[in-house]
Amino acid sequence: MTVANGPQMGVTLYSFTNEWLTRQFELDGLLREVAKRNLGPNIEIIGFQSFKEFPDVSDDFAAYFKDLMAETGLNTVSCAINSDRFMKPGQQPIDDADLVEYHKRQLRSAKKMGFKLARSQFACPAHLLPELAPFCEDIGMQMGVEVHAPMWARHPAVLEYREMYEKLDSPALGWIPDFGGTARAIPPSLLDAARAIGTPEALIEITKEIWQGDEASYVKAGKLRAIAQDKGYDPLHVQACTLSFFILSNNDPHSWAEMVDRTIHIHGKFYGVNDEGVEEAIPYEEFLPLFRDGGFTGTIVSEWEGHAYCTADAFEQVRRHQAMCRRILAEAPVAA
Amino acid sequence: MLPVERIIGEEGLSATPRGARLAMRLPWYRSLPFSTVEVGSVTLDGAPVDLADARIEFDDITFPLAEMGEQTNAFWFVRDSAFLVMPGVDVAAGSDHEVSLLLYVNPPYIPGMKRVNPQTATLRVN
Repeated sequence: MTVANGPQMGVTLYSFTNEWLTRQFELDGLLREVAKRNLGPNIEIIGFQSFKEFPDVSDDFAAYFKDLMAETGLNTVSCAINSDRFMKPGQQPIDDADLVEYHKRQLRSAKKMGFKLARSQFACPAHLLPELAPFCEDIGMQMGVEVHAPMWARHPAVLEYREMYEKLDSPALGWIPDFGGTARAIPPSLLDAARAIGTPEALIEITKEIWQGDEASYVKAGKLRAIAQDKGYDPLHVQACTLSFFILSNNDPHSWAEMVDRTIHIHGKFYGVNDEGVEEAIPYEEFLPLFRDGGFTGTIVSEWEGHAYCTADAFEQVRRHQAMCRRILAEAPVAA
Repeated sequence: MLPVERIIGEEGLSATPRGARLAMRLPWYRSLPFSTVEVGSVTLDGAPVDLADARIEFDDITFPLAEMGEQTNAFWFVRDSAFLVMPGVDVAAGSDHEVSLLLYVNPPYIPGMKRVNPQTATLRVN
Protein backbone atom coordinates (compact mmCIF):
# COMPACT_ATOMS: atom_id res chain seq x y z
CA MET A 1 0.00 0.00 0.00
CA THR A 2 1.11 3.57 -0.55
CA VAL A 3 1.37 5.99 2.32
CA ALA A 4 -0.91 8.93 1.61
CA ASN A 5 0.93 11.40 3.82
CA GLY A 6 4.40 10.00 3.38
CA PRO A 7 7.27 11.45 1.41
CA GLN A 8 6.40 13.17 -1.87
CA MET A 9 8.39 12.78 -5.07
CA GLY A 10 10.04 15.34 -7.29
CA VAL A 11 13.23 16.15 -9.16
CA THR A 12 16.02 18.68 -9.07
CA LEU A 13 16.89 20.26 -12.40
CA TYR A 14 20.52 19.57 -11.43
CA SER A 15 19.88 16.04 -12.73
CA PHE A 16 19.72 17.59 -16.21
CA THR A 17 23.02 19.47 -15.95
CA ASN A 18 24.35 18.01 -19.22
CA GLU A 19 21.21 18.87 -21.15
CA TRP A 20 21.34 22.37 -19.65
CA LEU A 21 25.02 23.10 -20.27
CA THR A 22 24.79 21.92 -23.87
CA ARG A 23 21.83 24.27 -24.41
CA GLN A 24 19.47 21.47 -25.46
CA PHE A 25 16.73 23.15 -23.40
CA GLU A 26 15.89 26.66 -22.31
CA LEU A 27 14.47 26.89 -18.78
CA ASP A 28 10.85 26.88 -19.94
CA GLY A 29 11.45 23.94 -22.29
CA LEU A 30 13.17 21.93 -19.57
CA LEU A 31 10.36 22.49 -17.08
CA ARG A 32 7.76 21.56 -19.73
CA GLU A 33 9.69 18.38 -20.51
CA VAL A 34 9.81 17.44 -16.82
CA ALA A 35 6.06 18.03 -16.52
CA LYS A 36 5.31 16.11 -19.73
CA ARG A 37 7.24 13.10 -18.46
CA ASN A 38 5.54 13.27 -15.02
CA LEU A 39 8.85 13.61 -13.20
CA GLY A 40 7.49 16.24 -10.79
CA PRO A 41 5.37 17.63 -9.50
CA ASN A 42 7.84 18.90 -6.92
CA ILE A 43 10.84 20.79 -8.21
CA GLU A 44 14.20 21.85 -6.85
CA ILE A 45 16.27 24.38 -8.77
CA ILE A 46 19.80 25.58 -8.07
CA GLY A 47 19.48 29.36 -8.18
CA PHE A 48 22.96 29.88 -9.55
CA GLN A 49 22.45 27.19 -12.18
CA SER A 50 19.14 28.12 -13.73
CA PHE A 51 18.44 31.80 -13.00
CA LYS A 52 20.64 34.30 -14.78
CA GLU A 53 19.57 37.11 -12.43
CA PHE A 54 20.58 35.20 -9.29
CA PRO A 55 21.30 36.15 -6.52
CA ASP A 56 18.97 39.17 -7.06
CA VAL A 57 15.94 38.15 -9.10
CA SER A 58 13.74 40.95 -10.49
CA ASP A 59 10.00 41.19 -9.95
CA ASP A 60 9.47 40.71 -13.69
CA PHE A 61 11.42 37.47 -13.81
CA ALA A 62 9.75 36.17 -10.65
CA ALA A 63 6.31 36.84 -12.20
CA TYR A 64 7.33 35.10 -15.45
CA PHE A 65 8.64 32.12 -13.48
CA LYS A 66 5.50 31.80 -11.36
CA ASP A 67 3.36 31.84 -14.50
CA LEU A 68 5.55 29.12 -15.97
CA MET A 69 5.14 26.94 -12.90
CA ALA A 70 1.38 27.47 -12.91
CA GLU A 71 1.20 26.57 -16.60
CA THR A 72 3.21 23.37 -16.15
CA GLY A 73 1.48 22.35 -12.92
CA LEU A 74 4.82 22.00 -11.19
CA ASN A 75 5.36 22.87 -7.55
CA THR A 76 8.32 25.03 -6.48
CA VAL A 77 9.63 23.35 -3.38
CA SER A 78 13.33 23.97 -2.99
CA CYS A 79 15.77 26.57 -4.25
CA ALA A 80 19.39 25.60 -3.73
CA ILE A 81 21.45 28.56 -2.56
CA ASN A 82 25.21 28.73 -2.14
CA SER A 83 27.29 29.69 0.87
CA ASP A 84 30.06 31.30 -1.19
CA ARG A 85 32.42 32.24 1.57
CA PHE A 86 35.67 32.09 -0.39
CA MET A 87 35.18 34.78 -3.02
CA LYS A 88 38.89 35.46 -3.48
CA PRO A 89 40.97 32.30 -3.91
CA GLY A 90 43.87 32.07 -1.52
CA GLN A 91 42.68 35.05 0.54
CA GLN A 92 40.61 35.39 3.70
CA PRO A 93 36.95 34.38 3.54
CA ILE A 94 34.44 37.21 3.27
CA ASP A 95 33.21 38.90 6.46
CA ASP A 96 30.40 37.28 8.43
CA ALA A 97 28.13 40.29 7.81
CA ASP A 98 28.70 40.04 4.05
CA LEU A 99 28.05 36.29 4.08
CA VAL A 100 24.79 36.77 6.00
CA GLU A 101 23.69 39.41 3.48
CA TYR A 102 24.69 37.09 0.60
CA HIS A 103 22.36 34.44 2.03
CA LYS A 104 19.57 36.95 2.53
CA ARG A 105 19.77 38.12 -1.09
CA GLN A 106 19.31 34.54 -2.27
CA LEU A 107 16.57 33.76 0.26
CA ARG A 108 14.60 36.86 -0.79
CA SER A 109 14.87 35.85 -4.44
CA ALA A 110 13.78 32.28 -3.70
CA LYS A 111 10.80 33.53 -1.71
CA LYS A 112 9.83 35.94 -4.47
CA MET A 113 9.74 33.07 -6.97
CA GLY A 114 7.49 30.98 -4.75
CA PHE A 115 9.94 28.48 -3.28
CA LYS A 116 9.16 27.18 0.18
CA LEU A 117 12.64 26.29 1.36
CA ALA A 118 16.28 26.82 0.53
CA ARG A 119 19.17 24.36 0.47
CA SER A 120 22.29 25.84 2.11
CA GLN A 121 25.80 24.52 2.67
CA PHE A 122 28.22 23.86 5.52
CA ALA A 123 30.46 26.67 4.22
CA CYS A 124 28.03 28.85 6.21
CA PRO A 125 29.46 28.65 9.76
CA ALA A 126 27.05 27.48 12.47
CA HIS A 127 27.60 30.69 14.44
CA LEU A 128 25.73 32.65 11.74
CA LEU A 129 22.55 30.60 12.14
CA PRO A 130 21.22 32.78 15.00
CA GLU A 131 21.12 35.65 12.50
CA LEU A 132 19.66 33.68 9.61
CA ALA A 133 16.96 31.74 11.47
CA PRO A 134 14.88 34.80 12.49
CA PHE A 135 15.21 36.21 8.97
CA CYS A 136 13.87 32.95 7.52
CA GLU A 137 11.04 32.93 10.04
CA ASP A 138 10.16 36.55 9.15
CA ILE A 139 9.90 35.92 5.42
CA GLY A 140 8.33 32.47 5.79
CA MET A 141 11.10 30.32 4.40
CA GLN A 142 12.87 27.25 5.74
CA MET A 143 16.60 26.75 5.27
CA GLY A 144 18.22 23.34 5.37
CA VAL A 145 21.89 22.50 5.20
CA GLU A 146 22.75 19.75 2.73
CA VAL A 147 24.40 16.78 4.43
CA HIS A 148 26.58 15.72 1.51
CA ALA A 149 29.51 13.27 1.41
CA PRO A 150 31.88 13.18 3.21
CA MET A 151 29.41 14.52 5.78
CA TRP A 152 27.13 12.13 7.63
CA ALA A 153 25.18 12.08 10.89
CA ARG A 154 28.25 12.00 13.14
CA HIS A 155 30.66 14.18 11.19
CA PRO A 156 32.08 16.98 13.41
CA ALA A 157 30.57 19.72 11.22
CA VAL A 158 27.16 18.05 11.50
CA LEU A 159 27.48 17.74 15.28
CA GLU A 160 28.31 21.46 15.54
CA TYR A 161 25.23 22.32 13.50
CA ARG A 162 23.14 19.90 15.53
CA GLU A 163 24.12 21.65 18.73
CA MET A 164 23.11 25.02 17.27
CA TYR A 165 19.85 23.59 15.90
CA GLU A 166 18.96 22.30 19.35
CA LYS A 167 19.85 25.61 20.97
CA LEU A 168 17.82 27.73 18.51
CA ASP A 169 15.02 25.19 18.06
CA SER A 170 13.76 27.19 15.08
CA PRO A 171 11.16 25.65 12.76
CA ALA A 172 12.95 27.47 9.93
CA LEU A 173 16.08 25.31 10.17
CA GLY A 174 16.60 21.67 9.30
CA TRP A 175 18.54 18.96 7.50
CA ILE A 176 18.66 18.02 3.84
CA PRO A 177 20.17 14.52 3.63
CA ASP A 178 21.93 13.76 0.36
CA PHE A 179 22.81 10.07 0.94
CA GLY A 180 26.20 10.07 -0.80
CA GLY A 181 27.83 9.78 2.62
CA THR A 182 26.35 6.33 3.16
CA ALA A 183 27.21 4.45 -0.02
CA ARG A 184 28.10 0.76 -0.18
CA ALA A 185 30.41 0.95 -3.20
CA ILE A 186 31.83 3.13 -5.92
CA PRO A 187 29.18 3.26 -8.67
CA PRO A 188 30.07 0.71 -11.38
CA SER A 189 29.05 3.36 -13.92
CA LEU A 190 31.79 5.66 -12.60
CA LEU A 191 34.38 2.90 -12.94
CA ASP A 192 33.10 2.08 -16.44
CA ALA A 193 33.55 5.75 -17.37
CA ALA A 194 37.14 5.55 -16.10
CA ARG A 195 37.71 2.37 -18.12
CA ALA A 196 36.29 4.09 -21.21
CA ILE A 197 39.14 6.60 -21.15
CA GLY A 198 41.70 3.81 -20.79
CA THR A 199 42.20 3.59 -17.02
CA PRO A 200 44.03 0.32 -16.27
CA GLU A 201 42.17 -2.31 -14.25
CA ALA A 202 44.99 -2.38 -11.68
CA LEU A 203 44.45 1.31 -10.87
CA ILE A 204 40.71 0.71 -10.51
CA GLU A 205 41.38 -2.14 -8.06
CA ILE A 206 43.66 0.13 -5.98
CA THR A 207 40.96 2.83 -5.99
CA LYS A 208 38.30 0.39 -4.76
CA GLU A 209 40.54 -0.75 -1.93
CA ILE A 210 41.41 2.79 -0.78
CA TRP A 211 37.75 3.88 -1.03
CA GLN A 212 36.78 1.28 1.60
CA GLY A 213 38.98 2.98 4.22
CA ASP A 214 37.85 5.34 6.96
CA GLU A 215 40.16 8.26 6.11
CA ALA A 216 39.04 11.71 4.96
CA SER A 217 38.51 12.20 1.22
CA TYR A 218 41.68 14.22 0.73
CA VAL A 219 43.75 11.58 2.55
CA LYS A 220 42.39 8.88 0.25
CA ALA A 221 43.11 11.08 -2.77
CA GLY A 222 46.65 11.65 -1.53
CA LYS A 223 47.18 7.92 -1.08
CA LEU A 224 46.03 7.18 -4.61
CA ARG A 225 48.16 9.95 -6.10
CA ALA A 226 51.26 8.70 -4.27
CA ILE A 227 50.79 5.15 -5.53
CA ALA A 228 49.96 6.41 -9.02
CA GLN A 229 53.07 8.54 -9.15
CA ASP A 230 55.20 5.65 -7.98
CA LYS A 231 53.78 3.34 -10.63
CA GLY A 232 53.60 5.98 -13.39
CA TYR A 233 49.84 6.08 -13.99
CA ASP A 234 48.39 8.78 -16.26
CA PRO A 235 47.14 11.80 -14.21
CA LEU A 236 43.93 11.82 -16.27
CA HIS A 237 43.18 8.24 -15.20
CA VAL A 238 43.99 9.09 -11.58
CA GLN A 239 41.63 12.09 -11.72
CA ALA A 240 38.81 9.88 -13.05
CA CYS A 241 39.25 7.53 -10.08
CA THR A 242 39.77 10.24 -7.44
CA LEU A 243 36.28 11.65 -8.06
CA SER A 244 34.85 8.68 -6.15
CA PHE A 245 36.48 9.81 -2.88
CA PHE A 246 34.74 13.20 -2.97
CA ILE A 247 31.21 12.25 -3.98
CA LEU A 248 30.73 9.06 -1.95
CA SER A 249 31.79 7.62 1.36
CA ASN A 250 30.77 4.47 3.20
CA ASN A 251 29.31 5.49 6.56
CA ASP A 252 26.49 3.57 8.27
CA PRO A 253 23.22 4.00 6.30
CA HIS A 254 21.16 3.52 9.48
CA SER A 255 22.77 6.62 11.00
CA TRP A 256 20.22 8.77 9.10
CA ALA A 257 17.74 7.78 11.82
CA GLU A 258 19.39 10.40 14.05
CA MET A 259 18.39 13.18 11.64
CA VAL A 260 14.85 12.25 10.62
CA ASP A 261 13.07 14.49 13.13
CA ARG A 262 14.64 17.68 11.73
CA THR A 263 14.71 16.64 8.07
CA ILE A 264 12.82 19.17 5.95
CA HIS A 265 13.71 17.98 2.45
CA ILE A 266 15.67 15.18 0.84
CA HIS A 267 18.16 15.02 -2.00
CA GLY A 268 17.70 11.59 -3.48
CA LYS A 269 21.29 11.41 -4.68
CA PHE A 270 21.92 8.55 -7.08
CA TYR A 271 24.30 7.46 -9.80
CA GLY A 272 22.50 4.72 -11.69
CA VAL A 273 19.41 2.57 -11.19
CA ASN A 274 19.90 -0.80 -12.88
CA ASP A 275 17.42 -2.91 -14.85
CA GLU A 276 16.34 -4.59 -11.61
CA GLY A 277 15.33 -1.19 -10.18
CA VAL A 278 18.18 -0.99 -7.66
CA GLU A 279 20.55 1.95 -7.20
CA GLU A 280 24.02 0.61 -7.90
CA ALA A 281 25.93 2.30 -5.07
CA ILE A 282 23.59 3.72 -2.41
CA PRO A 283 21.46 1.30 -0.32
CA TYR A 284 18.06 3.04 -0.44
CA GLU A 285 16.35 -0.07 0.88
CA GLU A 286 18.21 0.36 4.17
CA PHE A 287 17.41 3.98 4.99
CA LEU A 288 14.40 5.23 3.02
CA PRO A 289 11.89 3.47 5.31
CA LEU A 290 13.46 5.31 8.27
CA PHE A 291 12.16 8.61 6.90
CA ARG A 292 8.74 7.23 6.04
CA ASP A 293 8.32 5.57 9.41
CA GLY A 294 9.77 8.58 11.21
CA GLY A 295 7.00 10.79 9.85
CA PHE A 296 8.83 12.68 7.10
CA THR A 297 6.21 14.14 4.73
CA GLY A 298 8.39 16.49 2.68
CA THR A 299 9.80 15.91 -0.78
CA ILE A 300 12.44 13.53 -2.08
CA VAL A 301 13.91 15.12 -5.20
CA SER A 302 15.72 12.74 -7.52
CA GLU A 303 19.26 14.01 -7.93
CA TRP A 304 21.11 12.13 -10.66
CA GLU A 305 24.81 12.93 -10.46
CA GLY A 306 26.08 10.42 -12.99
CA HIS A 307 26.28 13.42 -15.32
CA ALA A 308 29.58 14.24 -13.62
CA TYR A 309 31.22 11.39 -15.53
CA CYS A 310 28.84 10.17 -18.25
CA THR A 311 26.17 11.39 -20.63
CA ALA A 312 23.47 8.77 -20.08
CA ASP A 313 19.82 9.83 -20.52
CA ALA A 314 19.04 11.83 -17.38
CA PHE A 315 15.28 11.66 -17.90
CA GLU A 316 15.33 7.86 -17.96
CA GLN A 317 17.58 7.75 -14.91
CA VAL A 318 15.20 9.99 -12.95
CA ARG A 319 12.20 7.89 -14.02
CA ARG A 320 13.93 4.76 -12.71
CA HIS A 321 14.91 6.43 -9.44
CA GLN A 322 11.39 7.63 -8.71
CA ALA A 323 9.99 4.18 -9.46
CA MET A 324 12.54 2.67 -7.08
CA CYS A 325 11.68 5.11 -4.27
CA ARG A 326 7.96 4.50 -4.72
CA ARG A 327 8.53 0.75 -4.57
CA ILE A 328 10.56 0.97 -1.37
CA LEU A 329 8.13 3.39 0.30
CA ALA A 330 5.19 1.14 -0.56
CA GLU A 331 6.74 -1.87 1.14
CA ALA A 332 5.40 -2.77 4.55
CA PRO A 333 7.35 -1.53 7.58
CA VAL A 334 9.61 -4.10 9.15
CA ALA A 335 8.00 -5.43 12.35
CA ALA A 336 9.66 -4.05 15.47
CA MET B 1 34.71 15.68 -23.37
CA LEU B 2 31.89 16.07 -20.82
CA PRO B 3 29.79 19.24 -21.01
CA VAL B 4 31.16 20.34 -17.63
CA GLU B 5 34.73 20.14 -18.96
CA ARG B 6 34.21 22.25 -22.07
CA ILE B 7 35.91 25.66 -21.89
CA ILE B 8 36.17 26.80 -25.51
CA GLY B 9 32.76 28.30 -26.25
CA GLU B 10 30.44 27.59 -29.17
CA GLU B 11 31.03 31.09 -30.56
CA GLY B 12 34.71 30.22 -31.14
CA LEU B 13 37.31 32.74 -32.29
CA SER B 14 36.40 36.07 -33.89
CA ALA B 15 38.30 38.95 -35.47
CA THR B 16 37.22 42.30 -33.99
CA PRO B 17 38.62 45.84 -34.19
CA ARG B 18 39.63 45.39 -30.54
CA GLY B 19 41.66 42.24 -31.24
CA ALA B 20 41.00 38.52 -31.44
CA ARG B 21 38.01 37.46 -29.33
CA LEU B 22 37.77 33.95 -27.88
CA ALA B 23 34.55 32.49 -26.45
CA MET B 24 35.01 30.74 -23.08
CA ARG B 25 32.59 28.46 -21.24
CA LEU B 26 32.59 28.05 -17.48
CA PRO B 27 33.59 24.47 -16.55
CA TRP B 28 31.27 24.10 -13.57
CA TYR B 29 27.62 23.22 -13.02
CA ARG B 30 26.55 26.67 -11.80
CA SER B 31 27.31 30.33 -12.28
CA LEU B 32 30.27 31.69 -10.36
CA PRO B 33 31.61 35.11 -9.47
CA PHE B 34 34.31 36.01 -12.01
CA SER B 35 36.69 36.47 -9.06
CA THR B 36 36.82 32.71 -8.55
CA VAL B 37 37.92 31.90 -12.12
CA GLU B 38 41.41 32.39 -13.51
CA VAL B 39 42.57 32.41 -17.12
CA GLY B 40 45.81 30.44 -16.88
CA SER B 41 47.09 30.79 -20.43
CA VAL B 42 46.21 30.97 -24.11
CA THR B 43 48.35 29.72 -26.97
CA LEU B 44 47.66 30.42 -30.63
CA ASP B 45 49.25 27.99 -33.10
CA GLY B 46 51.59 26.89 -30.35
CA ALA B 47 52.78 30.37 -29.36
CA PRO B 48 51.84 31.81 -25.94
CA VAL B 49 49.63 34.92 -26.11
CA ASP B 50 50.59 37.88 -23.93
CA LEU B 51 47.46 38.57 -21.89
CA ALA B 52 48.73 41.69 -20.08
CA ASP B 53 46.22 43.96 -21.89
CA ALA B 54 43.47 41.38 -22.39
CA ARG B 55 39.89 42.16 -21.38
CA ILE B 56 36.84 40.15 -20.39
CA GLU B 57 33.50 40.90 -22.05
CA PHE B 58 30.25 39.44 -20.74
CA ASP B 59 26.88 40.87 -21.78
CA ASP B 60 27.16 44.58 -21.07
CA ILE B 61 30.11 44.42 -18.70
CA THR B 62 33.77 44.56 -19.56
CA PHE B 63 36.88 44.69 -17.39
CA PRO B 64 40.62 44.09 -17.68
CA LEU B 65 41.60 40.45 -17.27
CA ALA B 66 44.10 41.59 -14.64
CA GLU B 67 41.16 42.76 -12.49
CA MET B 68 39.10 39.59 -12.76
CA GLY B 69 40.07 38.57 -9.23
CA GLU B 70 38.24 41.65 -7.89
CA GLN B 71 34.93 40.84 -9.58
CA THR B 72 33.14 39.30 -6.60
CA ASN B 73 29.70 40.61 -7.55
CA ALA B 74 29.76 39.97 -11.29
CA PHE B 75 28.46 36.50 -12.05
CA TRP B 76 29.40 34.37 -15.04
CA PHE B 77 26.11 32.67 -15.96
CA VAL B 78 26.89 29.02 -16.56
CA ARG B 79 24.92 28.84 -19.83
CA ASP B 80 26.67 31.78 -21.47
CA SER B 81 30.08 32.34 -22.96
CA ALA B 82 32.32 35.06 -21.62
CA PHE B 83 34.73 36.51 -24.15
CA LEU B 84 38.46 37.03 -23.84
CA VAL B 85 39.51 39.95 -26.02
CA MET B 86 43.21 39.95 -26.88
CA PRO B 87 44.40 43.31 -28.25
CA GLY B 88 47.23 43.10 -30.73
CA VAL B 89 46.39 39.55 -31.76
CA ASP B 90 45.55 39.61 -35.45
CA VAL B 91 43.60 36.77 -36.96
CA ALA B 92 42.14 36.85 -40.45
CA ALA B 93 38.49 35.94 -40.98
CA GLY B 94 38.25 32.46 -42.44
CA SER B 95 41.71 31.33 -41.31
CA ASP B 96 42.20 28.27 -39.09
CA HIS B 97 44.11 28.33 -35.82
CA GLU B 98 44.94 25.87 -33.12
CA VAL B 99 43.89 27.44 -29.82
CA SER B 100 44.80 26.12 -26.37
CA LEU B 101 43.06 27.58 -23.35
CA LEU B 102 43.67 26.84 -19.67
CA LEU B 103 41.19 27.88 -17.00
CA TYR B 104 41.28 27.39 -13.26
CA VAL B 105 38.09 27.26 -11.20
CA ASN B 106 38.08 27.79 -7.43
CA PRO B 107 34.56 26.91 -6.23
CA PRO B 108 33.84 29.54 -3.54
CA TYR B 109 32.23 27.12 -1.08
CA ILE B 110 35.03 24.50 -1.25
CA PRO B 111 38.16 25.99 0.31
CA GLY B 112 41.39 24.85 -1.27
CA MET B 113 39.84 23.24 -4.34
CA LYS B 114 41.39 24.40 -7.60
CA ARG B 115 40.16 22.64 -10.70
CA VAL B 116 42.45 22.61 -13.74
CA ASN B 117 40.68 22.78 -17.08
CA PRO B 118 42.67 22.60 -20.35
CA GLN B 119 41.23 22.40 -23.88
CA THR B 120 42.75 22.62 -27.34
CA ALA B 121 40.73 23.04 -30.52
CA THR B 122 41.23 24.09 -34.11
CA LEU B 123 38.97 27.06 -34.76
CA ARG B 124 38.04 28.89 -37.97
CA VAL B 125 37.92 32.64 -37.37
CA ASN B 126 34.44 34.17 -37.63
